[in-house]
Amino acid sequence: MSYNQRQHEGVSIIELSGEIDLSQSPIARQQILGVIESGQDLLVDMAAVSYIDSSGVASLVEGYQAARKNQRQFALVAVSNSAMSVLSLARLDQVFPIYASVDAYFQQDD
Amino acid sequence: MTEASTSWPAKAHSGVEQLGRLSVRTVEELGYTGALLIESLYWIIIGPFKRQPISVPAVFAQMMSIGIAAAPIIFILSFAIGVMLAIQGIHSLKTFGAESQVVVGIALSVTREFGPLITGILVAGRSGSALAARIATMQVSQEVDALRVMGINPVRYLVAPALLAMLVMVPTLTFLADLAGLFGGAVYTSVELGLSYTAYLDRSLAALSVNDLSQGLVKSGVFATIIALVGVSNGFQVSGGAEGVGRVTTRAVVLSISYIVIADMIFTYFLNR
Amino acid sequence: MNATLHQPVIEIDKLVTHYGTTEILHGIDLEVHEGEIMIIMGGSGSGKSTLLRYLLGLGIPTSGSIRLLGQDITRCDADAMYQLRRNMGVAFQGGALLSSLSVVENVMLPLREHTKLDEKTMRIMARMKLEVVNLGGYEDMMPAELSGGMIKRAALARAIVMDPKLLFFDEPSAGLDPVVAAELDELILRLRDAMGMTIVVVTHELDSAFKIADRITVLDRGHILITDTVTALRASDNERIQSLLNRTPSKERLEADAYMDRLTAG
Repeated sequence: MSYNQRQHEGVSIIELSGEIDLSQSPIARQQILGVIESGQDLLVDMAAVSYIDSSGVASLVEGYQAARKNQRQFALVAVSNSAMSVLSLARLDQVFPIYASVDAYFQQDD
Repeated sequence: MTEASTSWPAKAHSGVEQLGRLSVRTVEELGYTGALLIESLYWIIIGPFKRQPISVPAVFAQMMSIGIAAAPIIFILSFAIGVMLAIQGIHSLKTFGAESQVVVGIALSVTREFGPLITGILVAGRSGSALAARIATMQVSQEVDALRVMGINPVRYLVAPALLAMLVMVPTLTFLADLAGLFGGAVYTSVELGLSYTAYLDRSLAALSVNDLSQGLVKSGVFATIIALVGVSNGFQVSGGAEGVGRVTTRAVVLSISYIVIADMIFTYFLNR
Repeated sequence: MNATLHQPVIEIDKLVTHYGTTEILHGIDLEVHEGEIMIIMGGSGSGKSTLLRYLLGLGIPTSGSIRLLGQDITRCDADAMYQLRRNMGVAFQGGALLSSLSVVENVMLPLREHTKLDEKTMRIMARMKLEVVNLGGYEDMMPAELSGGMIKRAALARAIVMDPKLLFFDEPSAGLDPVVAAELDELILRLRDAMGMTIVVVTHELDSAFKIADRITVLDRGHILITDTVTALRASDNERIQSLLNRTPSKERLEADAYMDRLTAG
């Protein structure tokens, strides 16, 4: 797994890529929680994620909960089909704000 | 007639066969129990380095269940034994007019013999049976299999903590039993011979060497190992559902008490040569 | 995806096992492919439970080999087996939840053993799996407080908490009412579809087997009678398979001599 972090219109965007499994998800978790704790809105771009297991999904859940507590925005972007099926297994597709692309997120904001 | 002549050799044959089976089984069981001991020690010592340590909370939980509830009953029984030794001692020493020597007798027999033995037998009955029943129930309900398929070694998860807890608690309880036994002796002696507690204590301490105490404690360590291993090995070898659990539990208690008494005899023989 | 679909993740080769001196399995050959749901069927005494035990690495076979994810579990060392177990989930017939731990602690157990994840992450993962099996909100109950169906679902949650590649399920519907059993079947299908798991189910329930199976293997007295799709199985003209499918008692021809020997032996 690798990640890349950038800013766009005052929102932090973390682009995750590769496999997010048991060994990698703690890194993703730290990144996500770090951004939330610094008081920013966060988009997690999952376009390049080839595989995500439940530890990765659990990190997303934790991030979303932290964002809600800090009253920050948190959304997933470009969730692949395989990642979506993992999310929907635990019905999390009905919980996370999910957008087709980063642009889609900013368009709905306007 | 013919019937008798044919059944005789058959009976003798089955008798020999049974004896053979029994000894094979005994050797097998000894080997199995020994393997359990070695594997438990392996996990206790090597486990932390392989990042698979035994669970400290599990050890403490076991220690609590072995020790805390057993302490009062062990205290009472040992106290009673101390009193009995004093009664018998004074009675028999009276013949020689050496009643005051009873203190030495009590001090030595309590610390070297009765403290460890009464503790061992009591813990075998209380905790050895509980251990056997717990492991047997887990075996029957496939919990042991579940541990194995999760990659959790059952010896590490179940046996090693129990062994460690026994090794800590049985000597501790034995020490308590020693104190209670001496106290029981002191109470009776003070009533019967008018010996003060301080005088009793002084004489006891003078009679006792470190060796006497440590002999008892070493024994109690051996008893602890016997109780833990006989309990778990019987538990693991359960067969036949709930009825089997009852059977191995009884077997575990009978066997561990027998082994404790035999081990005690052997130890006493070698330690006193 | 199609290429990997046909790679065998389980390969059993000439497996022979004994219980004491009795031979139980007489040379079993079986392959299970990635993403496949394989049902092992058979009556009691057919050897299906024995086969499962050996598949789980809980026994040492007399001869033959069992490869799981390419690893021969009859020969590999303890460390390799330990690593392999991360990729295997097992739901036992009676659940086999540790009675001293709460439901959520049971589900977290494999994570505690195999990962160094944050406590919070592990707890969320366990709760997610409990949601998957519809046990959300029951996490603090003890196993003794659960019904049979709930225990099976909790055991399934524990089996899948590590997202294993291989899932083994022993008698998912035994002892459950039909509605709960059907729910579990549904769940098994969803797990395969969402996670791409390879799933081996041991059962004697025909309805459930036909509903979820990609292929079914039928065991009879330690031999495999057939390993094929549901359609092919139904079309088979083997007498014993048909009697299993139609639930008729087996009416094989009696061998008079052998039968008399059995009755009068000794």
